[in-house]
Amino acid sequence: MSTDDAFAAAYRAHYWAVSRFVARRLDAPAHEVEEVVADVFAIAWRRRAELPDAPLPWLYGVARNCLANVVRGKGRYRRLLHRLTHHEAAHGRQTVTGPDAERPGSWVLEALDRLSPADQEVLRLAAWEELTVEELAVALDCGRSAAAMRLHRARRRLRAEIDRTRTAVSVPGGGDGHA
Amino acid sequence: MRDELELLRAADPAPAGAGRWRDRPLDATAEHALTRLLHGARTRRARRRLVLRAEAAVLALVAVLAFTLTGAGSGRAAAAPAALVPQAGTTAPSLDALARIAGARAAAAGPDDGPRRGSHLQSWSLAAPAGPDAAPPVTVPEERITRWNADGSGSELVVATDPRHPGRPVIQDDGGRWRTVGDGKVLHRAAYPAGYGTRHGGLAARTAPPTDPRALRTLLTSLYGAAGGGADGAGDGGDGVPQLLLALSSYRQEWTPGPRETAAIVRLLADTRGLRPAGAVTDRLGRRGLAFVHDGPDGAADTTRQMVVLDPRTGTLLGTEITFTRDVPDFRITAGQVLSYEAWLP
Repeated sequence: MSTDDAFAAAYRAHYWAVSRFVARRLDAPAHEVEEVVADVFAIAWRRRAELPDAPLPWLYGVARNCLANVVRGKGRYRRLLHRLTHHEAAHGRQTVTGPDAERPGSWVLEALDRLSPADQEVLRLAAWEELTVEELAVALDCGRSAAAMRLHRARRRLRAEIDRTRTAVSVPGGGDGHA
Repeated sequence: MRDELELLRAADPAPAGAGRWRDRPLDATAEHALTRLLHGARTRRARRRLVLRAEAAVLALVAVLAFTLTGAGSGRAAAAPAALVPQAGTTAPSLDALARIAGARAAAAGPDDGPRRGSHLQSWSLAAPAGPDAAPPVTVPEERITRWNADGSGSELVVATDPRHPGRPVIQDDGGRWRTVGDGKVLHRAAYPAGYGTRHGGLAARTAPPTDPRALRTLLTSLYGAAGGGADGAGDGGDGVPQLLLALSSYRQEWTPGPRETAAIVRLLADTRGLRPAGAVTDRLGRRGLAFVHDGPDGAADTTRQMVVLDPRTGTLLGTEITFTRDVPDFRITAGQVLSYEAWLP
């Protein structure tokens, strides 16, 4: 298979996965997401000689850099950082209001939003892009052990934020139940 | 308590199985973008790229417009097609009459009369790769045929047509054996093994095309974001026509409808406000059709006219065309220029 054929195969196989990657991270309407995705594949095309056998994590890595440039270029970095809480509203999704409801919805996203950008990203890659540790290492351009450690720590911190949310909800105002 | 990654996964704002970014075969926008990448290598990267922004239905199509601010000397696309010109007449049947014709044909259809997963179409959209050292802009219609079998195997062929010989299909579907004819250049050819279509097909591929117009509208709304409105089109005032036609195009790429599904499509169009009969027309493949046009708003830019062409004998969807209704000087577009067209083959 030629390099061009390999690129075309990767494009066809992963176009929607890359679109989801961008849509999850960009608080923007669909046509802006499509523009960024087009840029991602344009960059990937120029770098197609580097395309690995398993191209998706590599494409995510390209998309991360591209997305950061786009967002910075448009002066929307702050919006990116706060994207998750906005995203639900922008897409008209239904969200639940408490941690005991069946669908976690916004409170999990809010818990995620309180973490550092680096923690958020490794968690998104693991949960939403469903990357293995090896794939995380490719997408984050780091070693396997570093990726495993970053994920472990981020999960621990997210768990703590979730527990904090649960505590806050289960003891509202700190005094209920003592009447 | 659920694992934190599991909780986060359940809150995924863009799940793979539903919504705008769900897994499915490439849509026209993505296909065009790939074609540009694969075959635009000779052109230099444009200094700047602008994407014309309209809204609603136009947005997805506009995404394929890789307009560039060009240096001096780059002209208009060499193969840009002229807009179809319907010949207004008093004898042309209405959409409602066509729906009755299609309904009668559906009633007489046998069990083997479709639908069939896959499609065969010729399409074109305005694009002009350019730059300081760019070759003269060339815009080539593309023909694509996709077929899927019951076992999930399938095949796909994409051919660039020769702009010097417009109006001819370049893929001949000879009982499932595809031959390229004329001067078509093969852009992509693939065969997919059994099970592939089942694993990689999206919800649209797994959902049998409705034979009821209300169910079809519901499907187009849920899968492709067509304007909701009532099943009879009431309430949308025609504003949703561009989105509806775009959704219909996406649906048509997945499936080649049989007479029953065609009847549902025509009835859906007949019950939709905002489409007016424009007369007889000969489409780009030389077929006689009836044109129905939406002149209403297409979003903030409000610059386009949508046309759908149906076979007067059967109601079969022959094609669509979008043309500009106003000059857009920033992009050197003049009123009447074609933004895109699609011509569907059986």
